[in-house]
Amino acid sequence: MVQMPESKWSNTSGGGGGRTPFGPQIQFNPQWIKWVVMAVVALWLLSGVYIIGPDERGVVRRFGKVVRITEPGPHYRLQRPIETVNKVKVEKIRRLGIGFRTVSPGPPARYKFIEAESLMLTGDEQIVDAQVIVQYQVQDPNKFLFNVKGLERPNGALMDAAEVALRQVVGKRPIDDVLIGEKLQIELDIRELLQRIIDRYDGGVKIRVVKLQTVRPPKQVAKAFSDVVSAKEDKDKVIKIADGYREDVLPKARGEAQKIIEEALGYKAERVERAKGDVDRFLAVLKEYKKSKDVTRKRLYLETMEKILPGIRKIIIDPEVGGNILQFLPLEKGGEK
Amino acid sequence: MSHKMIITIVVVAAAILVLYLATFTVDETEQVIVTQLGEWVRTVQKPGLHFKIPFIQTVHTFEDRVLEYDAAAAPIITSDKKHLVIDNYARWRIVDPLLFYNKVGNVDGAQARLDDIVFSEIREELARHTLTEIVSVNREQIMEDVHGQCDDKARDYGIEVLDVRIKRADLPGDVTHSVYDRMNAERQRIAKKYRSEGEEEAVKIRAVTDKEKMILLAESRREAEKLRGDGDANAIRIYAEAFEKDPEFYGFVRTLKAYEKSLTKETTLVLPSDSEFFKYLSPAK
Repeated sequence: MVQMPESKWSNTSGGGGGRTPFGPQIQFNPQWIKWVVMAVVALWLLSGVYIIGPDERGVVRRFGKVVRITEPGPHYRLQRPIETVNKVKVEKIRRLGIGFRTVSPGPPARYKFIEAESLMLTGDEQIVDAQVIVQYQVQDPNKFLFNVKGLERPNGALMDAAEVALRQVVGKRPIDDVLIGEKLQIELDIRELLQRIIDRYDGGVKIRVVKLQTVRPPKQVAKAFSDVVSAKEDKDKVIKIADGYREDVLPKARGEAQKIIEEALGYKAERVERAKGDVDRFLAVLKEYKKSKDVTRKRLYLETMEKILPGIRKIIIDPEVGGNILQFLPLEKGGEK
Repeated sequence: MSHKMIITIVVVAAAILVLYLATFTVDETEQVIVTQLGEWVRTVQKPGLHFKIPFIQTVHTFEDRVLEYDAAAAPIITSDKKHLVIDNYARWRIVDPLLFYNKVGNVDGAQARLDDIVFSEIREELARHTLTEIVSVNREQIMEDVHGQCDDKARDYGIEVLDVRIKRADLPGDVTHSVYDRMNAERQRIAKKYRSEGEEEAVKIRAVTDKEKMILLAESRREAEKLRGDGDANAIRIYAEAFEKDPEFYGFVRTLKAYEKSLTKETTLVLPSDSEFFKYLSPAK
């Protein structure tokens, strides 16, 4: 038993290094070991290949120092202890919310509201409930990776800064401006302030959009606020009704006014026409009268008398008999005195 | 041959070991100080590969990134004697690792030190301002002042304070309730105002409408009277023009007509027997 390996050792002593105590079937071959070493080295070298996606940049560090930023495509880096690569999605629009967290992206998306973040003081010492969404993008991958610790973490630098900006901007305005008027301006102001804060940390981030998500009065006062809205509607309604009254009354009044004038016009025309008629009649009569004055006059007189006298009480006295008419009157009246 | 190979391997291994012990890397996020038997030798803030003497030189690594200091929310009193709960944070960076190492040691130590500096500065500065100034008017300026003072003090610890900011400035719970009460009252006032304004406007509209209606009718009546007057005048003129032609005959005819109208059944007419009408009744004459 002892001799066997001994003889084997002596057989292959020329190869050196390779010492196998297991059976003679494994033939130690320098050619073979060369291939193995080459394969291992090749694999090791190949492992330095990496691919940068179309929306990414690669940041390569050699012994911790950034030496190059690589564009999309395949690249090569030296092995592990020497060079490392970090891939950063620079095209991606990143998003963070203040006042709420996305529980599940849905659809339908579900959110958890965080009042401690969303309730804030306004410029006139009232309280408003505001949530904001910030969209940002990596502008400088190097700064983004290495300048700020915990930049994107929950309650990290970005979130803190966004919260500061939101509160500072809202704090400058009275509640009515925040709720109704100046949404766009507020968004711009927050964006500008947030960018300024992040730039001070040199965070390599570009703030794209700041959007006010919901801005509303806190629920403790929501009823009073919505009553203001309905009061406004009440106001409009009452005015509309009054306008309705106006639109009802005025046309009728105009109609009545027109009627009064038309009646007067009718009266005027009637008066004139009647006068003309009377005059025509008079002139016609006059024309005939002029032809035979005395007869006509007499006839007219008599005709009138004929008409009058039958209807009335008459006392006929002879002026030669009784000079005073009055003395006959009591007889007629039957003792009236 | 075999001895040579062993020697080569040993030499290479030794070289790697020495290289390993004699070098250190500084990452982009780090800065280091090198000490030699406890004594400072140099500070390295440039990232990359650096050398040191094995065994007798030691490397101490520190953060080179912007770090966070977040204080717990704490109550303060403003100059107008109002209470506020302030939640602030600061961002800071180690600028002098040796000083930092000597004075505070590590990041946790720095947090404690910053607590002392930042909170006392904030409390002191905010006590000089009113609530409105803090919340609204010049929060940024106030915080810049605090930042400046904190930075000055923190430099003694090898720390640069980048900014100090009020994350939240809220009213304490019981005050919050009274704010809600005030807000409710304010909104009720506004609602009432809107409703009253509506009434006001409506009453105005009705009054103006009624006025316009009256004016309209009055104007039309005036116009109507004028028209009637015109009619009467025209009629008079027409009559006059015609009757001028023979006033005597007009008088005669019109008198007869007047008789006809005025002498009715109730009339008692005393007629002399020698009147024109009875001329033929007493033929003696």
